[in-house]
Amino acid sequence: MDILSVFDNLLYGLGVALTPANLIIAVAGLILGTAIGVLPGLGGTNGVALLLPLTFSLTPTAAIILLASVYWGSLFGGAITSILFNIPGEPWSVATTFDGHPLAQQGKPGIALTAAFTSSFIGAFVSIILFTFFAPPLAEWALKFGPPENFAVLMLAFATFTGLGGGDPAKTIFMTLLGLLLSTVGFDIVSGQPRMHFGFVALQSGVNFIVIAIGLFGLGEIFLTVEEGLRLKGIAGRIGFRDLWETWKMFPRYWATIVRGTILGFWIGVLPGTGATPASFMSYGLAKQFSKNSERFGKGEVEGVVAPETAAHAAGIGALLPMITLGIPGSPTAAVMLAGFFIWGLNPGALLFQTQREFVWGLIGSMYIANVIGVIIVLTMVPLFAAINRIPFGVLAPLIVILSSIGAFAVNNQPLDLWIMLGSGVAGYIFRKLKYPLAPLVVALVLGEMTEQALRQSLIMGQGSPAIFITRPIALVFMAASAFLFLLPAIRSYRRRGPGVPHQATAELEG
Amino acid sequence: MRRAEIVAALVLAAGAAILVREALRLPVGWTSIGPGSGFFPFWLSIGVAIAAAAIVMKSVRVPATPGRDAPFIRTTAWKPLLIAFLPMVAVIAALRYLGIYIGGGLYLAGYMTFVGRHRWISTILVSVLIPVALFFIFERWFILPMPKGRLLEYLLYER
Repeated sequence: MDILSVFDNLLYGLGVALTPANLIIAVAGLILGTAIGVLPGLGGTNGVALLLPLTFSLTPTAAIILLASVYWGSLFGGAITSILFNIPGEPWSVATTFDGHPLAQQGKPGIALTAAFTSSFIGAFVSIILFTFFAPPLAEWALKFGPPENFAVLMLAFATFTGLGGGDPAKTIFMTLLGLLLSTVGFDIVSGQPRMHFGFVALQSGVNFIVIAIGLFGLGEIFLTVEEGLRLKGIAGRIGFRDLWETWKMFPRYWATIVRGTILGFWIGVLPGTGATPASFMSYGLAKQFSKNSERFGKGEVEGVVAPETAAHAAGIGALLPMITLGIPGSPTAAVMLAGFFIWGLNPGALLFQTQREFVWGLIGSMYIANVIGVIIVLTMVPLFAAINRIPFGVLAPLIVILSSIGAFAVNNQPLDLWIMLGSGVAGYIFRKLKYPLAPLVVALVLGEMTEQALRQSLIMGQGSPAIFITRPIALVFMAASAFLFLLPAIRSYRRRGPGVPHQATAELEG
Repeated sequence: MRRAEIVAALVLAAGAAILVREALRLPVGWTSIGPGSGFFPFWLSIGVAIAAAAIVMKSVRVPATPGRDAPFIRTTAWKPLLIAFLPMVAVIAALRYLGIYIGGGLYLAGYMTFVGRHRWISTILVSVLIPVALFFIFERWFILPMPKGRLLEYLLYER
């Protein structure tokens, strides 16, 4: 694929995204997403899962534009709560509280907010350009993959969780395998045999991914918030022209942090399995290490807002790259979107680029448009969004519970799903408290069927011998990389505290 | 917390054993169609069991902190958690009769009364208006049929 055809496709995609209907959908998605990002207890992953049933009546292109816009909106919105309320609205904006809230306390909420939004926008926009030029060749390359290569890439995705997730490797592997195992409940695709149903007829049709995601991320989060008791004490913030001017004047000084955050964020986002959250922590850590006034970090340094926000948005964009080219979600939120692909009747993977031009390039086009509109929306409407946090928790919590139930029920119209949702909610609460990472479970669950198919087909190709994974060069490279990542925690604990990733980067993966 | 960690790991390990047993009811070896339908679940469940055993070993090896172990759920946190959780169970159990809209409205009203301690007038207004709004959004705009329950069905269709 040559450069010219990329421009051609991009123009076509921008055209798709700019049709009035899609434009309205993008704006609605951005506003909803920002609201979701602002509200603690309602996260981007869950927000996208809740909205998925609403897309059943839309075209696939409109549907993906809606969900992607919600995701961009939630990336912007998380910063508002972090800075004004000192409570991260989203896991990826935890690092933004470190310097964002002190700035707000010193009477400069406008500067903190402008810095957050502007750096988000720059990180996102550069990433979208990288995305536009990386995605087509990657998809074209992936077309050559056979089952062994596909399986090896999937292994790499799972290995990333273990190697770079930062949590307890045993727990990460446990959650990954459990997710894969849950995906086998129901009919076997090859033989048609019902399996792993423990004698329950209702389980023979399988457990639905969306229902579990809503339980784990939606209800689990509610239980955690209820337990801790939510008290929001905010600082009023609005952005005036003075704030814009003063902040933007400072930006050239931070070019190195911005470039570093963008590249780091994009790369971490692309790696299957890691999302915006670790990217934001790593970028913050690096900015602190390299900064001349690192002792001011944590006390209201603008650079400490710029670094995590740039990386978080860059990672959010990057996470969609493996999703659209390989069918492997780069983050839990992308996993929920991928689940949508199946519902809309699309087969995720490299073929999308060939067969679904409107869908793929409409999505890419809408990334450009939505991020431009998004930054304008948040810059102008901060007080409005901050006011959402005045909704009392006594109303908000039950409302999220009701919306979760509606979302879970709508997937299959099956009352049993509400019990599964409730069970996953309790499980999600316990897992979170005991630091079992949820992201690998969710991503493995959505990828389970693909993994099993790739494995079984590969073994048939190799006449039962797993040697097929190391005799084919591309598969071998991926397998070696996965093996390295699986062993990385062991290597690290052997070498004990080497240089590199700061310890904060080991927060739970989400996003 | 340490005790909760160990108990959870033991429960998960026991669950893994049950999963292995369930997988063994299927053909796990090589069949006429290549790897049998139990092949993937069987090896996964073995892996889950090994991982669970590793977590048990690790959690036991963590030395107990001197003094009293922090509880998994603080005594003061039980009440708010149960106020959120038990009514959810009740509403889902009574779904056939209440449906999502009326059941949800009742849940909202209860939570606003006992947790939010809002005035009764705003409680009633909010817990009526929100379900009505949701009804129009989901049933009318997006045409997603939700369980409406006996009462609402009667009011809507049978009168």
